[in-house]
Amino acid sequence: MAAANASARTLGISAGLGFTDARARCPDLMHEDIDREADSRALSRLGHWMVRLSPLVALDGPDGLMIETTGCDHLHGGEPAMMENVASLLERNAIPHRLGLASTPGAASALARAWPGHILADGEEAADLTELPISALRLSQEAETLLKRFGLRQIGQLYGIDRKALGRRFQSRSAADAVLLRLDQALGLRHEPLAPLREAPSHVSRLPCPELLLATEGVQAGLEWLADDLCSRLADIGEGARAFGFHAFRADGEVSSVAITLARPVRTPKHILRLFSEKLDRIDPGFGIDLLMLEARRTGPMETSAPALSGDLAASETDPVLLSALADRITAKLGEGAVQITEAHESHLPEQAERKAGFDGHLPAPAGPHVSHGPRPIRLIEPPEEIKVLAEVPDGPPLRFIWRRVPHAVTRADGPERLAPEWWTWTAPPPPSASPEGVDRKWLNPKLDRRADAAFIARIRADLEAADPGEPVANLPRARDYYRIEDEEGRRFWLFRQGLYEDGRGGAPLWFMHGLFA
Amino acid sequence: MESRALDIPGVFRLGEARRKPDQSFPLNLGREGVHEICEARHGDMAAMTGFALAAARPPSGAVFWVRQFGLAREHGGLLHAGLSRLSDCPTGLISVETRKPGDALWASEEAICSGAVGLVIAEIETLDFTASRRLTLAASRHGVPLILLLPWRREGASAATARWRVASRPSAPNAFDARAPGASRWQAILEKSRQAPHMAGRVFNIELDHETLSLRVVSGLAAHTPAARPAPADIDISQALPRRQTG
Repeated sequence: MAAANASARTLGISAGLGFTDARARCPDLMHEDIDREADSRALSRLGHWMVRLSPLVALDGPDGLMIETTGCDHLHGGEPAMMENVASLLERNAIPHRLGLASTPGAASALARAWPGHILADGEEAADLTELPISALRLSQEAETLLKRFGLRQIGQLYGIDRKALGRRFQSRSAADAVLLRLDQALGLRHEPLAPLREAPSHVSRLPCPELLLATEGVQAGLEWLADDLCSRLADIGEGARAFGFHAFRADGEVSSVAITLARPVRTPKHILRLFSEKLDRIDPGFGIDLLMLEARRTGPMETSAPALSGDLAASETDPVLLSALADRITAKLGEGAVQITEAHESHLPEQAERKAGFDGHLPAPAGPHVSHGPRPIRLIEPPEEIKVLAEVPDGPPLRFIWRRVPHAVTRADGPERLAPEWWTWTAPPPPSASPEGVDRKWLNPKLDRRADAAFIARIRADLEAADPGEPVANLPRARDYYRIEDEEGRRFWLFRQGLYEDGRGGAPLWFMHGLFA
Repeated sequence: MESRALDIPGVFRLGEARRKPDQSFPLNLGREGVHEICEARHGDMAAMTGFALAAARPPSGAVFWVRQFGLAREHGGLLHAGLSRLSDCPTGLISVETRKPGDALWASEEAICSGAVGLVIAEIETLDFTASRRLTLAASRHGVPLILLLPWRREGASAATARWRVASRPSAPNAFDARAPGASRWQAILEKSRQAPHMAGRVFNIELDHETLSLRVVSGLAAHTPAARPAPADIDISQALPRRQTG
């Protein structure tokens, strides 16, 4: 038996009982394997739904949720009213629950497990936790049995024990075994950080719906109200946000969310609404929505500049704000990373000399001509396609070639332009020498006479080469010789021969088609 | 340099005559309207790209390049290092890659209507009449030119301002090396034109000038094929260089 509910407990079945014993107490008992994964998924779904109360929700063991309510209780009218609200929310969805409210997570967890419904006042932890059993402290099985053997059954009995002795006896890395740690966390002497399910947003705006929303028009109207509210708050502090999340909490314990990202910080409601309008039909009202929430993340200061009075005085012809708005609209429909710019990158290989990067609101710089390159084609075929070539050996241009099963006869050729391979990516660094003095130090010794110590030098060199033979020549990368080719119809190609004849790096070189010239 | 601040179509400024549509080559390609450029045969996509980039004047705003995903596999992707040989654009390109053809058309329309872009070039597979009509209306309303690069299978009616067929021709003779390719040459046939219907079917032979990066219309030139490269064994050293007495 993994766990028992109230009706099982009345029959005398408790957690940890064997199946045959339980069968003896209740003859028509059915059995099924417990699915811990499904349980944890359901728990995290419930945790996401509980975000409606507070942005910081964390999991507490396999069957609990920890909700940070600092600053949220006034929304419900005080702490007792908040507990009742949460209890009614859970009851409406038929989730059996035990609630506890305290100023430390440890004490709250203890109350929830052993004294449900109780609210602990600030500073009263020691007094209120006295009567609770040890099992409320989230300890492991072994620690609990050990404490029971010592006769310690209530938390109050732990107060009197010497702290050093307790710490030494129950020293362990895992929190469940460290009794002193758990006690201090419950009493508030040690801080316990929560690992929230979702990162807390910078600003949140909430709209509770007294009547359940069933139609998208209602959701749209709610989103407009929330956007206005959130943007006015952002405008008060002079910031804009780059990511917005919209969540619709349903009455049946589910959450439906959509999110947008922007290239520049924004606080105009119209812009945000336009980006959301395409995604709004992904919100599923289900049986009814009773809370709408809009979050702003990645806030930062906004650069606002006064627009020029007339077009003549404008500094540049492109308005970067309009360009970012365009990029945002395209990203919202086509997904993240749809709008790209190309950045130059230091590399010999033409296919790696340019990289695509996401657009971040600034106009890209023009691609200047690289002075040390030969002419480059306008289109690049990536990856290069192998072709059959008839060419003069060893370094003549092709005379005829077949590409994609179409033969071409070459009338004009230019080249070769040699691109050497990037040897630094292939050779390994020398290994650290093993001996304390180091053979290298003797090698660098200036007193070594080249003629007198020739035998010594030869021996050291043989030692060095034996230690690191280096990459065999057959594995080294091959150079590329690029040719600009024109065929009889006027098409211009850029192809290369990979490797040289007789370079020892593996057989006869192959030819590849890499680009097309205009 | 006239300012374009109040360049709203339909608004007349005092003292300026209405601009007549350009009757000479290239008929406002890349300056206004929607121009479709199609391949003459399969494999002329690179020639088309070069022609489009060289004919469009350097735009004052950003250049937006929309491409559909499958075309990069067949014709190759754009290499930015090769742009400087074709046109001197003051800003770099912003590129958008889409999976569906409808998305590429939508992105082009958004770019035209945004007002932040100076030129839009789109590589797409196909275009129907309604879409071309929509794009033409948007381009004329906002004054942003659009160039569409389409494969050779393009046929049928279109509402675009003009349709061109581009093929590559053998290049000009190279002054420095007779055996190397010279200045690029293309043949552009104006298949359809709304602005100058009498010029439909006209053939232009065009050459790209490397230094000024401008296009020149040349009459049909026959490029002579150079002599075949002699094999090394055939070269006679004693004949190649006259011996000279030096002292």
